[in-house]
Amino acid sequence: MGLHAYLALAAVVFAIGLFGVITRRNMVGILLGIELMLNAVNINLVAFSRFNGEVTGMVLTVFAICITVAEVALGLAIVILLFRTRRTAMADHVDWLKG
Amino acid sequence: MTLEVFGFWALAVVLVGSALAVVLTKNLFHSVLWLALALTGTAGIFLMLDAEFLAGVQILLYAGGVVTVVVFAIVVTERLVGTKLSHTSRRAWLGGGVAAMFLAVMLSQLARVPLSPLKIPMESDPTRLIGSAVLTRFLLPFELLAVVLLVSLLAASYFARPEE
Amino acid sequence: MDQALVPFALITLLTPAAVFVVLALVGPLRRSGRPAALLSIAGAVTAFGSAVLLWSRLDAPVQRVWAWLPEAQGALASVGILADEQSSIMLQLVTLVSLLVQVYSLGYLSDEPAAALGRYYAYQSLFAFSMLGLVLAPNLVQLFICWELVGLCSYLLIGFWYKKPSAARAAMKAFWTTKAGDVGLLIGIVLLWRQTGTFDFGEMRAMVEGGMVGVQGLSVITFCIYLGAAGKSAQFPLHIWLPDAMEGPTPVSALIHAATMVTAGVYLLTRMAFLFALTPDILHLVAWVGAGTALMAAILACAQNDIKRVLAYSTVSQLGYMMAAIGAGFASAGFLHLLTHGVFKALLFLGAGAVIHAVGTNDITRMGGLGRRMPQTMIIFLVGTLSLAGVPLFAGFLSKEEVLGAVWASGLTGPFVMLLLGAFLTAFYMFRVVFLTFFGTSVENAAGSAHEHGEHRGAHDPPIAMSGPLWILALAAMAIGIYFTIHHPEVEFVAPGWLAFTATGVATAGIVLAWATYQRELINAESLARATGPLRRAAAHGFWIDEAFLGIYRGVLMVLATTVGWIDRYLVDGVLNVVSAWTVAGGDGLRKIQTGHVQDYVLAVAVGVTVVLLWLQGAL
Repeated sequence: MGLHAYLALAAVVFAIGLFGVITRRNMVGILLGIELMLNAVNINLVAFSRFNGEVTGMVLTVFAICITVAEVALGLAIVILLFRTRRTAMADHVDWLKG
Repeated sequence: MTLEVFGFWALAVVLVGSALAVVLTKNLFHSVLWLALALTGTAGIFLMLDAEFLAGVQILLYAGGVVTVVVFAIVVTERLVGTKLSHTSRRAWLGGGVAAMFLAVMLSQLARVPLSPLKIPMESDPTRLIGSAVLTRFLLPFELLAVVLLVSLLAASYFARPEE
Repeated sequence: MDQALVPFALITLLTPAAVFVVLALVGPLRRSGRPAALLSIAGAVTAFGSAVLLWSRLDAPVQRVWAWLPEAQGALASVGILADEQSSIMLQLVTLVSLLVQVYSLGYLSDEPAAALGRYYAYQSLFAFSMLGLVLAPNLVQLFICWELVGLCSYLLIGFWYKKPSAARAAMKAFWTTKAGDVGLLIGIVLLWRQTGTFDFGEMRAMVEGGMVGVQGLSVITFCIYLGAAGKSAQFPLHIWLPDAMEGPTPVSALIHAATMVTAGVYLLTRMAFLFALTPDILHLVAWVGAGTALMAAILACAQNDIKRVLAYSTVSQLGYMMAAIGAGFASAGFLHLLTHGVFKALLFLGAGAVIHAVGTNDITRMGGLGRRMPQTMIIFLVGTLSLAGVPLFAGFLSKEEVLGAVWASGLTGPFVMLLLGAFLTAFYMFRVVFLTFFGTSVENAAGSAHEHGEHRGAHDPPIAMSGPLWILALAAMAIGIYFTIHHPEVEFVAPGWLAFTATGVATAGIVLAWATYQRELINAESLARATGPLRRAAAHGFWIDEAFLGIYRGVLMVLATTVGWIDRYLVDGVLNVVSAWTVAGGDGLRKIQTGHVQDYVLAVAVGVTVVLLWLQGAL
């Protein structure tokens, strides 16, 4: 299988994740969509790295995974905090930025 | 060759299917489980790309760690709210349209770019290469990563601390 | 050039300045009153002595300048002194009158509080410095600066009794009216600089004599300069401030509004005569306006009952004579009249001050018979009156005759007739004042034992501080008259032989008419007034010139201002208000797209990225 196939697969997964981020009501659902998008990125990185015979992309993937884990932890903490203050987990109930 | 093609397509179907399930299923808990499957599929893709170490990390950290944390979060918040978390979608057609447009643009861009279909052989085992790169070229980012993890750990436990 | 004389000029100029600085900075000295006055008088004595020494030793013009505003090609403007025949004589007039007025003020203002007296003398010193700087100015820049400084001093001294509303108002009026002319002067100076590239009188004169100054557009320049002179020297229609300026203390009127400052305009035109000679049309204007002012002010003076206002209109009238002579092209005749007028008009004002000081009123109808109580004052005032009327052997006779001769010689028949008529009226109104004030029956006697003007009883000749300066001026007026009668000054024109007799005859006629009306009462003053009818009524209102200015102000300026205000409020501001309303409305509208929902922002980012990608692909 060529590089194109991996990249196309990653693009599909990324688009699905984007769809989830845009449409999900629940904030945990949004986080899950973000996870999918990050995964797609990781697939891209590893694929490029492998097809170029160069390890940098894989190293960056290591970093990306670690940061993603940190991000998930923080995101969930924020969700819990929001539960406490607003008693909701619905993203469209939160509109403090409304102009 | 055929085995690789078969393996790729099988993994692609699993990955795309489980990803769709993540964003479409009504049950949040199921969503998380489908995400675990998607992450595992990604690990399979990594294996096909000769990145065994990354596949391991993917399964351990993501499929293990992240999913566990999310489940915990759901359970905790559901107990806080006292009701089952709903998990519906809003403006699905608009979101779907935009996502589809984006995908179309990405794919058309991919189609235009000539890319090598052949894998250039790695110098040696990728795991070994990752290990040496992390401890040589990428030493400073690697150390900084440790700091980031520590800070996010502290921040998360601060945010999620029990109410006074 | 004899640079040895420069220190004399500098001492003359800078002593009053030093006195002013000391009085301004050392508050306790200023507030002490009399010591401040003595210091100021000492400064004036120094200045006067130095000016006399300068004049007696001067045989050629002395000039010394210091660069002030530097520029690439030498100095743009400089300050310095130019002592020539004109300025050295003028210096003596200024320092002499200034000195005498300061001495006189000691007596006249003896009732003032000490602090006010100190302030008065500080102003006096500042005025002396400014006026001397103006006289000595070698260029137009220094002249203009000093010109404005004397205007400021005039404002301060007219408004010396600033708690009196009429005085404050008169000060304001004088300031603004002269400023109206000064704008013209400033424009004229700048235009002249553009034409000639210099401010210096000497260089300018050299250029004019070398024929290097184009006549093209010069009329505008000279007209602008004349405008400044007309404001300062109270020419029609800018003369309205001078009668009101009599609100100031009488010595101030004598110094500033008779002898020195108001003649600055005449002096300026004398200085610039070489330039005005190139623009005969403007000279004609100067002559006609001058003659008209002389006649008009003389008529107005006949209708006044306030002794100071009579003298003020008389000053306006005499300034008109000087201007007419300059307009006739013989600036020296005007300058001569300036000098003699400075002496006898200061004398008249100070004499009037003595009368006012004694009786406590300005109204000549409420005086009378003062000659017996104040014989010295009467003699002095009579000397001044005879000088002003142009009676032979007195100071004004010869200079007035020269003015008339100059106007006749240049063929200006109209102005000549007006001036002659003015001379007749001058004699009439001055003797009207004399007869009403010093002769005739005393009002208090007629009214029995006076109550309200009890001061009349104590009316007597003034103290030595006041009578001393009066006698000096009276003797000077007579000495000048006699000197000129013996040494007839050379003139540049040929005056007809009958002129002296005509002038004398006209003056005599005026005196006789006044005598017949107010002394013998052969002619009833009332019927005389009726005979002149509408003219008199008009004169009583100052020919409605103030009203005309007010009308112009209301009719033109206020309408213009209202229009401009309307445009500003509704058009300029309106456009801004509409634009700002649109901005606010647009902001309100745009605000709504900020839903506050994170997912809408993500959607927008996704759309944006898609669009950017399409654009990069060239699809857009």
